Amino acid sequence: MKKKQIAITLGIMCFLLTIAICVQIRTMSSANSTVSKTLSDNGLRDEVLKMKEKYDTTYKDLENAQKELEKVRQEATQNDSTAEAKEQELKENNMILGNTNVTGEGVEIILQDATSTNNSFNLSDQLIHYGDIQWVVNELKNAGAEAIEVNGQRIVNTSAITCEGNIIKINGERIGSPFIIKAIGSKSLLYGALERAGSILDVIRDYGNTAKVTKKDSITVSKYSGVISYEYLKENK
Amino acid sequence: MKKFKFRKDITAVTIVIFIVCIVLVSVTLMQFRTIEQTDLTEIENMRESELRTALSEWKTKYEEVYAQLLDVNQKIEEYNKTIIDNEAAAELVDEELKESNIQVGKTDVYGEGVIVTLSDGDRSVTSEHLLDLVNELRYAGAEAISINENRVLATTDIIDMADYSYIMVNLQRIEGPYVIKAIGNKEQLSSILNLKGSGFIPKSNTSGINASSKMENKVEIPKYSGEFEIKYMQEVEQ
Repeated sequence: MKKKQIAITLGIMCFLLTIAICVQIRTMSSANSTVSKTLSDNGLRDEVLKMKEKYDTTYKDLENAQKELEKVRQEATQNDSTAEAKEQELKENNMILGNTNVTGEGVEIILQDATSTNNSFNLSDQLIHYGDIQWVVNELKNAGAEAIEVNGQRIVNTSAITCEGNIIKINGERIGSPFIIKAIGSKSLLYGALERAGSILDVIRDYGNTAKVTKKDSITVSKYSGVISYEYLKENK
Repeated sequence: MKKFKFRKDITAVTIVIFIVCIVLVSVTLMQFRTIEQTDLTEIENMRESELRTALSEWKTKYEEVYAQLLDVNQKIEEYNKTIIDNEAAAELVDEELKESNIQVGKTDVYGEGVIVTLSDGDRSVTSEHLLDLVNELRYAGAEAISINENRVLATTDIIDMADYSYIMVNLQRIEGPYVIKAIGNKEQLSSILNLKGSGFIPKSNTSGINASSKMENKVEIPKYSGEFEIKYMQEVEQ
């Protein structure tokens, strides 16, 4: 009888101890860690936000200054025909480089991950991959596109389309489905290149994803956001 | 006799329980320590390092924009001066145009960088390999790229002919071995290309293509050989 009592008491004690351990682990990993984490990270987070704000205001200043520069340049060169021609070329360069918003005829392409999952395909095939976007952009270039953007990111000389884990990035900025690709060029040539039988869009559709091309009489492609600084490039005379 | 045996039993049980308790308590303490020392700081460090990366990224971006802002403001001042003094602004425009032509691809350029050589191995090199390579070079910060002396620009397409007999870049036919040049930070370019597992060079070599890269102090890249023709796009007036 006494033996049984001891066993029960000890059993209860062990049970309590185990619970105590569990509670400790929980508390450690949730409450305690978040408290200390937010305390130490708040300062940093504030700094990041402040720096971003600083960037945003300076970028806006830069945009205004660029507009003003264009104005004074035009004014300064209007009485000099050679300078005027150069000013014009500079303007065209800026369009090619992606420094200005541009408009013209072209196409709009919408690519979207499959909404209903079809079990006969690999799940991964039912998503739009960065390779698909790269391929569509390459086709557009082949068909003579003069300016291209993907979800607001202008494709410029230095643009990379990358994939980190399951995040697609262009110009270092995250983009996601649906992907809206806008291209300026001959709308019939661009449309024909994308809608020919066996094109990349057909492949994308075969797996249940959406791919839609629309001809546009007027489409606007936005400029590159941010600045590109060249550090290593020098003219070879 | 019976009493003695009963006692002995209790002692044994007590000792066993005692040992179990000690073990349990020390495990609890150890757990406490471990959580506090490794796990917690790891989570905190991770978050903190993420924040630090974000901070330094924004800082670099800000500095770049700020430098350009100063530059543009200086140009505005210079133009204003020519307007006031009624001087010719040709020289100023010329200077700006020169710089912009380098970026557009209208001039031959040079600088430090890497040279990548690709050739057919067990498998043939296709346009997809070249597209991937160009993309990776851009990701690594390449400022100018050429494939077999054809300048690669934002509008450059790289395609296979229908039967994979040859590749076309800027609608020019090119043939192997393919020499891809890139100007940029040579260490950064090279290390990203050669990244174990995911870099272009090791990935190509395991897939049956011969690929190698070399760092150079002077890489020369020719200007774009085609015309810069704008037929469809117009600037949006603000």
